[in-house]
Amino acid sequence: MPFFLIFIFIVLLPQCHGEAQTQEVTALPVTEYQLENGMRFLILEKSESPTVSFVLQYRVGGINDKTGSTGTSHLLEHLLFKGTHTIGTLDPEQETFLLNRMDLLEDSIVILEGKNPTSPVIVDLKKDILQIEERAKIYVVANEFEGILTRNGARGLNASTDSESTKYYLELPSNRAELWFMLESERMTQPIFREFYTERDVVAEERRSRIETQPGNLLYEAHLKAAFKVHPYREPVVGHMQDINNLTRRDIRSHYEKYYGPENAVVAVVGNIEAELVQQWANQYFGHLPRGRSEGTVAHAEPDQKKERRVSVIFQAEPQLRIGWHTVPTAHPDSPALMVLAALLTGNRSSRLFQRLVVQDQTASNVSSSLGPGDLFPRLFSIGVSIQSSAKAEDIEQAVYDELETLAQKPPSEEEIQKIRNQISAGQIRGLASNFGLALQLAHSTALFGDWRYTFELSQELKNVEPEMISQVIKKFFNPNNRTVATLVPTNSCVR
Amino acid sequence: MMACNRLSTSLGKAKFIALHLAVLTPLTLMGQSRDGIRYKDLEFEPLLFNQPSSEIHKITGKVNVLFLQDSSLPLVSLFARFRGGTVHFNREEQGVVTAVPMLLRTGGSEQITPDSIDTLLEQYAINLSFGRDGKSSFSSLNTLTDYLDESLEIWSLLLTQPGFSPEMIHVWRNQELDYLRRSERDPNTIAIRTFNQLMFGDHPTGWTLRPEDLDPEDLDPENLRAIHRKIFCRDNLTLGVTGNTTWSNILPKLNKLAESIPPCESTFKEILPIPVSAGPGIYVVANGLPQTTIIMGKHSKVKLDDHTEYFAAQVGNLILGGSGLNSRLSDRIRTESGLSYSASSIWTAPTQPPGVLAAMTQTKNSSTATVINLISKVLQEMAEKPPNSKEVRDAIDEISNGFIFNFQSPAQIVSRQMLYLTQNLPLNWLSIYLKGIQQINAQDIHNIFSENIALTGLEDMVTVVVGNHDMLESELKKIGTVYKIEPN
Repeated sequence: MPFFLIFIFIVLLPQCHGEAQTQEVTALPVTEYQLENGMRFLILEKSESPTVSFVLQYRVGGINDKTGSTGTSHLLEHLLFKGTHTIGTLDPEQETFLLNRMDLLEDSIVILEGKNPTSPVIVDLKKDILQIEERAKIYVVANEFEGILTRNGARGLNASTDSESTKYYLELPSNRAELWFMLESERMTQPIFREFYTERDVVAEERRSRIETQPGNLLYEAHLKAAFKVHPYREPVVGHMQDINNLTRRDIRSHYEKYYGPENAVVAVVGNIEAELVQQWANQYFGHLPRGRSEGTVAHAEPDQKKERRVSVIFQAEPQLRIGWHTVPTAHPDSPALMVLAALLTGNRSSRLFQRLVVQDQTASNVSSSLGPGDLFPRLFSIGVSIQSSAKAEDIEQAVYDELETLAQKPPSEEEIQKIRNQISAGQIRGLASNFGLALQLAHSTALFGDWRYTFELSQELKNVEPEMISQVIKKFFNPNNRTVATLVPTNSCVR
Repeated sequence: MMACNRLSTSLGKAKFIALHLAVLTPLTLMGQSRDGIRYKDLEFEPLLFNQPSSEIHKITGKVNVLFLQDSSLPLVSLFARFRGGTVHFNREEQGVVTAVPMLLRTGGSEQITPDSIDTLLEQYAINLSFGRDGKSSFSSLNTLTDYLDESLEIWSLLLTQPGFSPEMIHVWRNQELDYLRRSERDPNTIAIRTFNQLMFGDHPTGWTLRPEDLDPEDLDPENLRAIHRKIFCRDNLTLGVTGNTTWSNILPKLNKLAESIPPCESTFKEILPIPVSAGPGIYVVANGLPQTTIIMGKHSKVKLDDHTEYFAAQVGNLILGGSGLNSRLSDRIRTESGLSYSASSIWTAPTQPPGVLAAMTQTKNSSTATVINLISKVLQEMAEKPPNSKEVRDAIDEISNGFIFNFQSPAQIVSRQMLYLTQNLPLNWLSIYLKGIQQINAQDIHNIFSENIALTGLEDMVTVVVGNHDMLESELKKIGTVYKIEPN
């Protein structure tokens, strides 16, 4: 293809295409429905395939875990797959009796630990608890909750916990949609947290799999801990190993009672289902639930950072680097410019840091950027680099600062920004193809920002970012005293 | 389309009340049963839908095209699949064969620099990817309908006149070497690679890329072009199109694309059968992490075919470890014992066996021997007696009731049917598959497991353990013969 043709293509790209599309997106025929107890439903009928996606999102996550009890929200998420007082048991009465005995013994341990933490009785009581759990297992119908769903054809059945949310999701053939309402309402009202200690061990294994054997995630954990001194964003959602091992059924019950009321839940239903039917089932299965006592999320404000912080993780791994700067919550007016900056720096092959570090200097094999770990509180803008073993972390750091300084002094070109706008527009269209993706977006927007339109409108705000705004946010946030640098340093030792 | 649900009544209500009285829970039992209805009482009408299927067309150069129109969004997806992957080339060519599809994306074209290609793709917001597997190389493109012509022009340039820019070859090589170094530290990657090497020996199926495959002299642009000519030629090509375009609109464009791709100069040699490889034993790769990765498996002769054996293996694998928490492996290792976050199995059935039947999990170092014994026991039980009827029914229901999820998007349908064509399967293979699955019974499953697994469990198994060798050795020696493998 001759070069001039390419030039024409670029120049002639229609720039309003995306705007029209966004208007269409925010005008999606979403039906909003709220029960008297505060539980909200978002329904989007789509008839392409006879399937339905469900996302139930609770406004509770890692930041709601108490100090010393990190991992509570996440363990609760696991335990909600253990069934209910009627699902997953052969003898509810006998089983409940044994579970209550376990709780009483756990209470005794707490009292004893307050008086004499080294008492040998504690060890005996812990053994007793595990023995009782083994006895209770004879009444358990293992994984019945999941089994009901999978044999009915459910796909993507899973859940996730992050800093501010816990989500439960699945897809069902549309003729079996009522099953979701029935099972989820039961899970919402009468979970039993059976097989507690076994599942706590499973979560400990999950921590080993996801964190303790994964250098990138270890570095991430250390980076957040160094960057946030007060705010709960500093704690790992999966929990510290010691905290996980100390969690009790009472902790979980208390957390559940505090945060799993209907007023704290948002449900998105997308697919081949009539909105009227969803409303009918919402009333039938959830309408009578009493409003809970969920409190808004309160977290200690992170004080301004006064000077640069640095942290290292030594591990048998290839080197990595993370640099983070404190910024603003997602809903802040500066947020769109920061998100466009992330795309500009590392969003694709022609982005500034990819070109500089991977293509030009060849000191990195990969580079990425992110804003997180949550949405509601001031976030960390982080740049992550996989460092080539022949390169020096300090050279890469300097290159990152140089590129930021260049952008601070001279805004990006209009063409650079337009490329990003075009991709945002196309991404919005592509996002409409997936029922599950739409359900996630509707639930997330509503649960965290109060309106399903929020994230769609945010996409529009991203497209309104002008080149000068990029320079402005860099000058505002990207100063040395506001940054935290975390490096993964390889060791030749086999033992960490 | 939407089915109504009928709720059965009195019996369910009576059962529920009885339970309610007995449990005495702190919360009122209202959720599932305000009207006394339990999940077992729900009845579902059959899901009626017409299975969408691609049209198959033959265009210029006898190229097969699968086409499925979908006007729901202003997008078009195109897929190209070329016969020819790593198994068709020698060991010393593996680096170049791996490089070619990657460099088709990043190496520019003869006329356009890599930077300009990137700029064009980003400017038009085109999603373009290239890849390969053992037997095929492939590319897919997704574009806004408005830019279909421009997208096709860029795609055609990359497929037919690749630039293989030396600078981008160097960049890719550096990235790949770094990726290999990082993989060397990842326990799951090490376990899978070691298992494949043990199972497939020095056969292409077991090869993985090594740093020495990426010698700069081998990655010469001319070498890349030579491999490119062998794979990316017309006789190897199958195309797929779906999205917001009509056949009459796309046909001339596809003809133009097919004409621009030269016919193949040669055909690929037949793939050699896989030799018998490593004997049974416990192969330990040492690392210093707090968790051990375990893979235990063996060869399987089950072939992808319209045959009871194949369908029994599929259902049997769901019962063994392919169906999440409900499978036996997960039930025993995770749910009952709390020894792992994830325990699963695979049963591969290629068109040319052998495949593998294998279980994989991770556990803390101190539980390694216990978990190996548990896996062994579960496998043994599968070989000893048929699964119970509920297990079989649940596995078949999972596939049957979830069948609709194979038809969620036209792109999914087209790309799947393209794969069927390359595997010499009929386009309606999925319907044949469902019918085959639904005819499987417990005895079929027992037969296939007893044919494939020794009743002695571990005896004919290859077990790979990536973990702390010094801590594990004495326990593992009690289970079987232990071989230490030095990390690469």
